[in-house]
Amino acid sequence: MTMELQLGLALPNNSTEGFDLNSRGSEPLSHVGSCLASESGIREYNSKKRSFDEAFVPQTLALLVWNKQPNEEDEGHSELDKNSSTISKSDGDEDGIVGWPPIKTPRRKLCHQNCGGFSGGNFDDGGPRPRGSKSTYVKVKMEGVAIARKVDVNLHHSYQSLRDTLDDMFGRGLKNVKAYKLTYQDGEGDWLLAGDVPWSAFIQSVRRLKLLRSSD
Amino acid sequence: MDPKRSRNSHESVNSSESTRFPDEVLERVLSLLTSHKDRSSVSLVCKDWYNAERWTRTHVFIGNCYSVSPEIVVGRFPAIRSVTLKGKPRFSDFNLVPENWGADIHQWLVVFAEKYPFLEELRLKRMTVTDESLEFLATSFSYFKAISLMSCDGFSTDGLAAIATHCKNLTELDIQENDMEDNGGGWLSCFPENFTSLEVLNFASQQGDVSFDALEKLVDRCKSLRVLKVDKYVKLEQLHRLLVRAPQLTDLGTGNFQQELTPRQCAELESAFSNCKNLHTLSGLWDATSLYFPVLYSACGRLTFLNLSYAALQSGDLAKLLPHCPNLRRLWVLDTVEDEGLEAIGSSCPLLEELRVFPAAPFDLDINRGVTESGFIAVSRGCPRLHYVLYFCRQMTNAAVATIVQNCPDFTHFRLCIMNPGQRDYLTGEPMDEAFGAVVKTCTKLQRLAISGLLTDLTFEYIGKYAKNLETLSVAFAGSSDWGMQCVLRGCPKLRKLEIRDSPFGNAALLSGLAKYESMRSLWMSACNVTMNACKLLAREKPRLNVEVMKDDETDSQVDKVYVYRTIAGPRRDAPPFVLTL
Repeated sequence: MTMELQLGLALPNNSTEGFDLNSRGSEPLSHVGSCLASESGIREYNSKKRSFDEAFVPQTLALLVWNKQPNEEDEGHSELDKNSSTISKSDGDEDGIVGWPPIKTPRRKLCHQNCGGFSGGNFDDGGPRPRGSKSTYVKVKMEGVAIARKVDVNLHHSYQSLRDTLDDMFGRGLKNVKAYKLTYQDGEGDWLLAGDVPWSAFIQSVRRLKLLRSSD
Repeated sequence: MDPKRSRNSHESVNSSESTRFPDEVLERVLSLLTSHKDRSSVSLVCKDWYNAERWTRTHVFIGNCYSVSPEIVVGRFPAIRSVTLKGKPRFSDFNLVPENWGADIHQWLVVFAEKYPFLEELRLKRMTVTDESLEFLATSFSYFKAISLMSCDGFSTDGLAAIATHCKNLTELDIQENDMEDNGGGWLSCFPENFTSLEVLNFASQQGDVSFDALEKLVDRCKSLRVLKVDKYVKLEQLHRLLVRAPQLTDLGTGNFQQELTPRQCAELESAFSNCKNLHTLSGLWDATSLYFPVLYSACGRLTFLNLSYAALQSGDLAKLLPHCPNLRRLWVLDTVEDEGLEAIGSSCPLLEELRVFPAAPFDLDINRGVTESGFIAVSRGCPRLHYVLYFCRQMTNAAVATIVQNCPDFTHFRLCIMNPGQRDYLTGEPMDEAFGAVVKTCTKLQRLAISGLLTDLTFEYIGKYAKNLETLSVAFAGSSDWGMQCVLRGCPKLRKLEIRDSPFGNAALLSGLAKYESMRSLWMSACNVTMNACKLLAREKPRLNVEVMKDDETDSQVDKVYVYRTIAGPRRDAPPFVLTL
């Protein structure tokens, strides 16, 4: 790419920060004013900002990723410090890309609640807890299946109904899904076979679910 | 007849009074015009027509609330009954606009209360609306009928309570995709017992319980209710009670669809659905699994719009459901259905015109699932009428897009989001330039385009050269130099909205649009290479543009965000401290 005519603009306050107009073809320059400057084609701008090429060269994309905790300030009306850096807060964390992928807030909140892959629950779930119906989504994994699901145990009244839903979620193409054993992790971190304690006790203590292949 | 004759002109002193159109006739004719474009044209013919138009206009659409002031609006149009207002730039949906930026409705309401006491309808998008404003609205306009809030913020259910309490003639309460504080569901009980006029009720975006009793009674007494969209806290077992009271519904948004039902409850629900003979739109279906889809089958044949984007369905679920829905025109799904699910769409929905595929886990990099290019191709093969697509994926190829647009050349809206910024064609390793080149070359009716993937200036050359009907362009992480943006500004005659983020366009690019921005609604650039000097120059050269800048750093000359829009209202007076109007 050859450099064509370069015009640098000297502005009234004689700032050294002129800028280039790399002109290719008919540019309405007459009303912009002109004076030739000796700048090179590529501006050097403030080194605080990474240049686009530095930031987004594809092979370094793995480093520049959004981590597993996207911007907390997504969550509804969190009280932002209005004085300072309201801008920088929404300008991107060190790890994450603000507002990417471009998904609207209500759906983004849902992703936080429902999607697998988040480690722990130490981020605000988005908005105040609804009164009366506390939803308790727990992660469900099936042995041998890469993707976890989430299920709201509060919507069920019995082990059978929970099991039916899980069979339906994971049972696609699996002939003997019913042979899988349902296990759960309780509040103390232990893994137990589901069904021993009354349902009401179960939903108080269940933290995660796992369907294990039958070992016999 | 010479339309240029005016009553006041001295030309008409002794001539053709008989050929002059009486005002009453002109106004009667013009009052039948509803299209904004037609009305704009009419108002430019001559002074008589300008006046007749302004007196007969009942609806005004304001695409950018800062392009005009409420005083100017009421001054020009004395007889308005219905107002549509849009506020913040679209990227505010994705947290790119800080809070308290503006677009507050209140001042508009104050002016309207004085000049439009007969105001009936208010439709807002991306505006800030407080509870106080809603209360003011409810108490200031006795004939108020319809309020629609989309992607708005600043209010809570208390504001809804005010509307329910005071608006005696309300026909429409439509709250969509908003950031609404939940202060309890008691607002539904605020509708008086003798209130029966409601036709549209949408509170799907509420985050909490409502009083179901109150809802049931309300649905029961509002016999004209045709749109009912409840929030996800309404349980499946409660749905039946609503449906039997409103079999006339055309548009239903269910609550949660994942719950244990007895066989009898299932049968009742199925029967209720089959009695909804007018149902053409179905949404909600939160957390639905295919377990209870059979209750829907009887209604599915009539559906034209199905929104499954809150149900993490798998391909098999969709394959079971869709054969029952051959008349679908619009379908929204989550990418959990994967390519196989999209194949099912291609084979079951030949009339499909719009498809949106949302990502179930957009922030999770571990997942390598979702939909790919082959799903998209499958849909394009089976659905030749497809003209609107929103597609989130993790991989795409140039060849696939070329095939897709060959199968569906009538795209008017093509929004492709390859979720990894700057991602190449995964088969050839090339940039995705040719994909979007194919889109703009083939789809001559294209009005809206969103691009993604690794893109050089070539993409923008294509857009500038071929996209002659393009009105809205969204750019992210794309382009190589100023040249790209210059191509678009130079080449797209109908461009109205240009929004760019994280792209290497600088001052030369910004200034190359000097002559164009007044013909556009707005330009947004964030995380580009624009500096204060260029923005100041633009502002100075174009006094009818507002050039608003947001900077990270007080001393920095680098501009983080710039928002440029045409206006006849001058610089806005409500700009917060972090917005500099140049």
